[in-house]
Amino acid sequence: MKLRAKLGYTAAGLTVLAALLTPFLLMGMFAKGIVALRLHVDEMYSGGPKVRIFEHGAYSIAVHRAVYPHMLQTEKPFVQLDWSPVNALPAHVSDVVDIDGDGQPDIRVSFDVPKDPKAQLRVDVEPIDQVNQVSAKYQAMRNAGKEKYSRLIVRVDNSILVRVPLKKP
Amino acid sequence: MATDIQARRLVRPTPRNFARSILLTLPIALWSLLMFFHPGANTDLASRLAGAITAIFMIAMFFTMMRTGTTYRWRRWFFVSVGLLFPIGFIHNVMVMRGSMGIPIEEMIAGRTPFCFMPIPLLILPAALTRTVVFPGSIVPGGGMSGHGIAEMVGLWLAITLVVGKGWCSYACFFGGIEEGMAAIPKRPKIRKLDPRWRYGPWAVLLAMVLLSLALFEPAYCNWLCPFKAVSEYVAARNTVGLIQNGIFIVLFGALVIVLPLLTKKRTQCSWFCPFGAFQSIFNKISIFEVKIDQTRCKPCVLCQNACPNLSLSKESVAKGEALMSCMKCGACVDVCPRQAVVWHIKGTEVAWKPERARLLFLYGAWAMAVMFGGSIIAQGISTILHYFA
Repeated sequence: MKLRAKLGYTAAGLTVLAALLTPFLLMGMFAKGIVALRLHVDEMYSGGPKVRIFEHGAYSIAVHRAVYPHMLQTEKPFVQLDWSPVNALPAHVSDVVDIDGDGQPDIRVSFDVPKDPKAQLRVDVEPIDQVNQVSAKYQAMRNAGKEKYSRLIVRVDNSILVRVPLKKP
Repeated sequence: MATDIQARRLVRPTPRNFARSILLTLPIALWSLLMFFHPGANTDLASRLAGAITAIFMIAMFFTMMRTGTTYRWRRWFFVSVGLLFPIGFIHNVMVMRGSMGIPIEEMIAGRTPFCFMPIPLLILPAALTRTVVFPGSIVPGGGMSGHGIAEMVGLWLAITLVVGKGWCSYACFFGGIEEGMAAIPKRPKIRKLDPRWRYGPWAVLLAMVLLSLALFEPAYCNWLCPFKAVSEYVAARNTVGLIQNGIFIVLFGALVIVLPLLTKKRTQCSWFCPFGAFQSIFNKISIFEVKIDQTRCKPCVLCQNACPNLSLSKESVAKGEALMSCMKCGACVDVCPRQAVVWHIKGTEVAWKPERARLLFLYGAWAMAVMFGGSIIAQGISTILHYFA
């Protein structure tokens, strides 16, 4: 048998061996390799990493880093705020939030917390700077539901997430 | 017509001895038992019963392949079963967990969108350039409806691809079985003349979707073109755009997966449209197993070209003695050739030198993967049905 043929059969044998090792070793090894690449899910979906947390008695508000769209992504830049745990929230929430951490309130967020976890949520967001007639960094939202990734209020597990669109600089 | 019938009579290779067929099936039988009955595999009676039915089915199909020396027909039983049972198990799961086939935006934000293999080629460029996965799922296990993360699905795909190359489309894809089943229904095709330029369709869709996914930073194929959204999950129609997306899914499914396979007896979605299939073709170049044509035996009769469900044989490729790189290794051309000129082949060896040995080695790898992956889908589908009637 020629060397090429011998190599061919060896490779074929290794392929069968790879098949047998797949559920016990190979699949997990490849998966670990993918995890080791340190990839992250697009922040348009995940909301980006949390940068600060404010305690409000029984509940807390987490502020995420602002998310900016890539290339031709159709969404607007936004910042995500999480209220959690939901069961510690009052029936009506109306909080001022210092998003950028400069010690000055930036927006007032108001929404009702229905007891039914599947009930539609609606949110009002009012930029505090707008009240003071200064150009605001954050867009106002009136009775917003879950229209877009960059403009929504949704309940995810034990948190209520509000995404406030940023004004263009 | 007479020649056609005569040719088909010549097709059947001599049946293998019963005892030898049993012996050759033994490794797959043991593998099936290991896959379906390892400790902790099945927790309730319905799952155990589904596992037993699936194991018997998979072993029986492999035994028949060994006994008859043919591949395509028996593989098709398996593949169509996967295609039909996948939506049953999947939709049931989705309905139980979220009450709808539509994915609400909160599930995407939570990273719980089930990840199938289709968007893999679309994720590569954004991941390479920005380390970003443009899919609303979870990278590590624990996310997704089934608890599997994106990394686990990609790991599974890599391993299976290493073993079968583009054979993925015949032994692992859980969508292709629907159209293969449709293509098997009519006795003869209504449309025979198919423009060979349609073969470039999947490459065009792949290129467009890869570029669009990079530009829009979203899995463009999943959002706009995947026909199988119609039988798995779809974008929850929150607005007009959502309605348009779902309309596209339904039209593409109806045309490419139902109507055209019935008219052409081909897997039209795979042959003309599927970008993942085009991407997977690249791995045929590194796969050790392939289909060759022994030109000393071949008298060009086009039976193999007509039998190929994927348009992977052309006049020119037959003249060159090989299948096109889109070959899915389903075995249709090998089984139909009356002169046994179309053969399974291991790269490096001489063409038609012990082709049955090449077939056996390929089938052991491919069927082991089929039992592990497709078998689990069949078992889940059967288990869902048993739960429903219990």
